[in-house]
Amino acid sequence: MNLINTLIAGVSIGAIYSLIAFALILVWRSTRVVNFAQAGQAAFSTYVGLSFEKAFNNFWLALLAAIIAGVLVGAFVEVVIVRFIVKRATSAATVTVAPVIAMLGLLGIFQGVMGLIWGGEYQAYPTAFSRDGLTINGSQIPFSQNDLFVLLTVVAAMSVAALIFQKTSLGLAMRAAAFAPEVTRLSGIRVSRIRTLGWAFAGGAGGLAGVLVAPTTFIAPNSFDLLLVFGFTAAVIGGLDSLIGGVLGGLALGIGLSVVTGYLGGSYTFMTAFVLLIVVLLIRPQGILGARGARRA
Amino acid sequence: MLVVRSSHKPSATKRTILALIVGIILFVGSNFIDEYRIFQGAQVAAYLVGIVSIVLLTGYSGQITLGQGAFMAVGSYSAALAVQEFGLPIWITFFIAVLAAALFGAIIGISAGRLSGPYLAGATLAFAVGIPALANAIPILGGEQGLSFDIGYAPGKYADTVSPYKWLFWICALCAIIAVVIAVNITSSGLGRQWRAVRAHETAAALCGINPARSKVMAFTVSSGFAGLAGVSFSATVGLVSPSGFTLALSFLLLTGAILGGISHISGALGGAIIVVIIPTVFESWTEEASLGVATYLPGIIVSALLLLSIALAPEGPSEALHKLRRKH
Repeated sequence: MNLINTLIAGVSIGAIYSLIAFALILVWRSTRVVNFAQAGQAAFSTYVGLSFEKAFNNFWLALLAAIIAGVLVGAFVEVVIVRFIVKRATSAATVTVAPVIAMLGLLGIFQGVMGLIWGGEYQAYPTAFSRDGLTINGSQIPFSQNDLFVLLTVVAAMSVAALIFQKTSLGLAMRAAAFAPEVTRLSGIRVSRIRTLGWAFAGGAGGLAGVLVAPTTFIAPNSFDLLLVFGFTAAVIGGLDSLIGGVLGGLALGIGLSVVTGYLGGSYTFMTAFVLLIVVLLIRPQGILGARGARRA
Repeated sequence: MLVVRSSHKPSATKRTILALIVGIILFVGSNFIDEYRIFQGAQVAAYLVGIVSIVLLTGYSGQITLGQGAFMAVGSYSAALAVQEFGLPIWITFFIAVLAAALFGAIIGISAGRLSGPYLAGATLAFAVGIPALANAIPILGGEQGLSFDIGYAPGKYADTVSPYKWLFWICALCAIIAVVIAVNITSSGLGRQWRAVRAHETAAALCGINPARSKVMAFTVSSGFAGLAGVSFSATVGLVSPSGFTLALSFLLLTGAILGGISHISGALGGAIIVVIIPTVFESWTEEASLGVATYLPGIIVSALLLLSIALAPEGPSEALHKLRRKH
């Protein structure tokens, strides 16, 4: 029963890691940039949500505002900055380094701007549902109404994304643009617009993840740094090229970390994630579901 | 591009003489500067070594690192432990810090040397977040409070005449000068040429008989040794070794300094170190009347914006861009 409890406790946080991994992978597939600024984008969107929450006292309106803010910020970042950086950094030495550093600079700008607007203190973020564990057969389990809400929301968001990717012509264009940009361009698709859309989707996913995790972690300009590292770990576990892999990686990481925290204590959580990241990178660098040879970045 | 460039650089002897002259100028000059500036000088010296360690790894060997603060932490903690547990004199701990960090870098390098690009960035990022958290969890390292690391006063009869800040500055400046001379010697040696060859084209370098994997691990080891020295200098300026001293922000700040100064040359490191130390203090004095928030966050925004601009306009660093400009004319 104890083991089952710890497994259950990891599911909802794992779902949030999955969302972040999803956002990172979506961007990586289309642009070959790991968006380290995602932590800043997500926190910014969550702050926008918090402002709406304070103004209108409506959780759902705030959630919508955060997602829309995430979409807009994601698109803005791609159009104004990423496009320019990717175009400029072409030599062998800079093509991998420059985008990483640019994204870090962007993260710094985001965190500074958030500090200026909303201050540096940790702020509480309200939930629509109770965070007390549900009671089944008279015993309380570490899975609350809020956890259920998080899990269902993520599943719904992923289902919508899967529908768009697999069933619409837009999704086909997105997959094609990520797979073979030149050929896609020759087929008459504006690849740059598709890329912007990918960044926008990823930004929206980040905003959603921020609102879902903020009640637990609280919100401060840099409170999502750890979430980014865990999201990246999840993305790498699944293989940076596979969206489904990232989702599974997130769940596996959430559950795995919950087991470690439950049995060994909270101070080992981070080391476990780090060791896991290194081990996966060394033993199976293409990830659980990544294609062979995909890691030649 | 970078690999082959005819060099008319001064020889190792000339460099040593130059370093001696700089050292004497700093030694004499420090008597005419007020205490606060001297303390800032010590900070610049500490950051300079850290930036040199990044330039060696990222600029010359082409391996990006977001976690240099972690290697600094390893150096600092081993130095502070050596003082606390074995009562070793302070000057020996500087060597211990270098050795411990280099050993650690070799171990990490063996695994991280196989990664590249965003994977290496992510792994070192995780490393930077993980090491302070780990230090916090190990009881002997003093938890949140950390360990004290006090370089004390100048020895003997100088203790009364030499102020603590001046003593601190001399030590940090000496470390920095030695580090820069060694770094420049390494980069103009065969080892440095190997690193640049591997950075430019791994397969071509392998065809020339270079072992790319070994070269990368070597770069990690050497760079970590420098980071260890930077860490112990940094801890000397703070007087303390604690997890909160080696945050992700420190790693980013050093990388920013390295980029702004010019990632592909050691020569840019001094400029980078001055920028990252001076910008926050400039804003502190400008925004005295303004709100606290502006003084806290504006420097970070400015530095980050500079970083972004510099990467967007001159991806290979200002000094490389200037070099190209000169070649055009």
